[in-house]
Amino acid sequence: MTNAKQGTAVPAIQISGLRKRYGSVTALDGLDLRVEQGEVHGFLGPNGAGKSTTIRILLGLLRADGGEARVLGADPWASAVGLHRRLAYVPGDVELWPNLTGGEAIDLLGRLRGGINRARRDELCDRFDLDPRKKGRTYSKGNRQKVALIAALASDVELLLLDEPTAGLDPLMEAVFQSCIREATAAGRTVLLSSHILAQVEVLADRISIIRKGSVVESGSLRELRHLTRTSVSVMTEHPADAITSLPGVHEAHHDGEQLTFDVDGEAMPVVMRELASLGVTGLTATPPTLEQLLLRHYGDELAAGVGNGNGNGSKAPAGVAR
Amino acid sequence: MSTTAVPTRRPSPSPLPARLDGHPLAGFRSLFRFMLRRDRIRFFGWTLGLTLLLAYFANVLQVVFPTAEDLQAFAAFSANPAAALLMGPGFGSEAITLERFLVGTYGMYLIIGASLMNILTVTRHTRVEEQSGRAELVRANVVGRYAPLTAALAVAVLMDLVVAILMGGMLAGMGFDAGGSIVFGASVGAAGLAFAGIAATCVQLTEFSRTAAGIAGAVLGGGFLLRGLGDMSAAQGGGLDWISWLTPIGWSQQAAPYVHDRWWPLAISVACFVVCAGLGYALSARRDLAAGLVAARRGSAYAPSWLSSPFALAFRLQRASLVGWSLSLFAAGLAYGGFTQAMIDGFADAPPELLVLFGGEENLLTGYLGLMGLMFAMFTTVFAILAMQSLRSEEFDGRTEPVLATAVSRPAWLGSWTAVTALGVVWLLFAAGLGEAIGAAASTGEGELFNDVLLGHVAHAPAVWTTLAMAALLYAVTPRLVPLAWAVFGYAFLIGFFGPMLDVPDAVVQASPYEHIGEYPSEDLSVTAMLVLTAIAAGITAAALAGFRHRDLVTA
Repeated sequence: MTNAKQGTAVPAIQISGLRKRYGSVTALDGLDLRVEQGEVHGFLGPNGAGKSTTIRILLGLLRADGGEARVLGADPWASAVGLHRRLAYVPGDVELWPNLTGGEAIDLLGRLRGGINRARRDELCDRFDLDPRKKGRTYSKGNRQKVALIAALASDVELLLLDEPTAGLDPLMEAVFQSCIREATAAGRTVLLSSHILAQVEVLADRISIIRKGSVVESGSLRELRHLTRTSVSVMTEHPADAITSLPGVHEAHHDGEQLTFDVDGEAMPVVMRELASLGVTGLTATPPTLEQLLLRHYGDELAAGVGNGNGNGSKAPAGVAR
Repeated sequence: MSTTAVPTRRPSPSPLPARLDGHPLAGFRSLFRFMLRRDRIRFFGWTLGLTLLLAYFANVLQVVFPTAEDLQAFAAFSANPAAALLMGPGFGSEAITLERFLVGTYGMYLIIGASLMNILTVTRHTRVEEQSGRAELVRANVVGRYAPLTAALAVAVLMDLVVAILMGGMLAGMGFDAGGSIVFGASVGAAGLAFAGIAATCVQLTEFSRTAAGIAGAVLGGGFLLRGLGDMSAAQGGGLDWISWLTPIGWSQQAAPYVHDRWWPLAISVACFVVCAGLGYALSARRDLAAGLVAARRGSAYAPSWLSSPFALAFRLQRASLVGWSLSLFAAGLAYGGFTQAMIDGFADAPPELLVLFGGEENLLTGYLGLMGLMFAMFTTVFAILAMQSLRSEEFDGRTEPVLATAVSRPAWLGSWTAVTALGVVWLLFAAGLGEAIGAAASTGEGELFNDVLLGHVAHAPAVWTTLAMAALLYAVTPRLVPLAWAVFGYAFLIGFFGPMLDVPDAVVQASPYEHIGEYPSEDLSVTAMLVLTAIAAGITAAALAGFRHRDLVTA
């Protein structure tokens, strides 16, 4: 990673207090986001939380009702064209021209952006196992997504805005995608990776922002976010460890044969560890929280109330009534 | 008719659904009700709209021709080839009455309206649903293979029945002969029915709803041209009148309401519906859901090097449409041009009050050719408005978003698309004019007509550009309102072809952009008007390009 760029450089993305309404529906409600140059930033949230709306404002396709957004130091609404030479975008739902082949669409989008690296394009077609000779209308969702990904990755740009880029890819292709993103960051590119697929973000992201109902509720490195959550601990000790269960920050303790299993709040960890050490630990496993659990904690109340419709804002975007 | 397929309602739970589970029509009833629910506004918009249009025409005629003597002056007009081309065979013109004049003059446009209503209704509920993937959701339920098509046809048939009853009832209510009124209503419904069947076949052929509607529309347009030739031939006693009998529009017109009141030509339309719908069912059984009958071919792995600008993309996306329109308009021009000599012969005995409309007996030849120029300008306007609707679909379907996410500015994208369409307009006028010029020169043997006819067609371009620019402005500001551009087209069409007869005030005529350039060669070309219209079109386009910068893109 090119940390040399950080510090003095302007952030790749800086958003403060961003607001967007569609009629009576509030899509973004004072969203703040900062993405440093050179990092992979995970933009995590359930469907309808406002991820796509945010990205489209960053592209100047939608106009914010309030707040400020800066992409590579510029206003995305006013300087859209200049910025688009320096960034590439993969939409969540890729639609292709029915009569153009995948290869034609890749070339076209690359050229409209200001040029495409032919060798890199061919290599990416190979790696993603895409047949570029098929017509746009005959591709599956996953293959349409590959077309958009290849067009974006084959361009020489500073910033990649990827809106749920692997939603339709199989695990094999997701691995290819991950290595491509690592290559991109090695080349100094910044990546904003929106997703509700936690494993993907966990693997790739340096920092993560969690968006919920149009505003970012948590932001930081994975480590920093874990700090906010509970670690699951299973421990075997020489002396009875029941005293642990009454410590502040320890939850859901129960005996499981010889093992004691419990969850610890991040802040309580040092105290608990000291206490355990005095009891003579003979075996210990500690499992860090997954992003699933992070999300569950933010949405836990809604998930409990009724899963299917847990994201308040309703369907993906109000403009679904286009026709 | 397939409405008889509606299962009777039972008040109590019955074993019927269980028996229908494996039936190809399972789910028909729910789908039928669902489609009516979706169309609750469209349904009455079309049926009442067409009926009110007829009522409006009837009232206008009563105001313009308060006495039989007023009408008699125009009687001859209904029996000449130009009127035959634009209106139909003109039955009963020797003893004209208001209702004969009404259905003879405006009947065909209501027939065309009902035909479009059916094409769009059937396409909307079948291929549009399949292409969008919504049909997959529906068909995954207890829904038989034939249920969606049957329900769509049932909706169309119901619309036709309603149109027939409303129109027949309204005319009878106005005091016209009840039998003739019912025949006229039925003739409009019958043509609609025939096109419901034709559309049912067309939607099986291609994966694309727009192509399917285009094929059905081409059948309608081709029918309009064919029956035009047949009716022109009939009007001057030629031997080609049988051509009119090749088309649904012809069958409906041959019912001759208020004159012969024939029912049997309408039976041909019903037979056409049955045969075409049957063909549609048979074809649908031979293909997969969402597939067409023609499999997609593989193409090139790389884009050609010219495909590298928004202008090139706009051209690439309009290319297929341009090719189709070019061929159609050239062929139509050739057909109408080739009819020139026969047309003049047919006018030999025409009364002078009719010839005035063409600029007098001396100018008959140029009058006809000038009028054709205006007609092709209207056709080309249809192309221009459809092109702007395609641009709207590009955005609504999510294909504009990735383009505008590249280094293409909004003005560049809208400007490129509009420029391709504007050049396409000139090209299509040239293609139509070339056909017309060749046909006219060949049929009259006057080679010097060639340049005049060609010029007379192409000269209309600034008027078409003006309508195009208005459509572009609507797109730029409120894309949902692009169809309003059809109002400009409709207005210009009514003024252009019926204005002279209806004696409308000058200001009303002047409001149409198509009334300033002149119908060359019968009238002088106004270069000033061409320049002014071009400037107006450019100004509106500039406003559109600026306006497009200020709205949100419509995103899925």
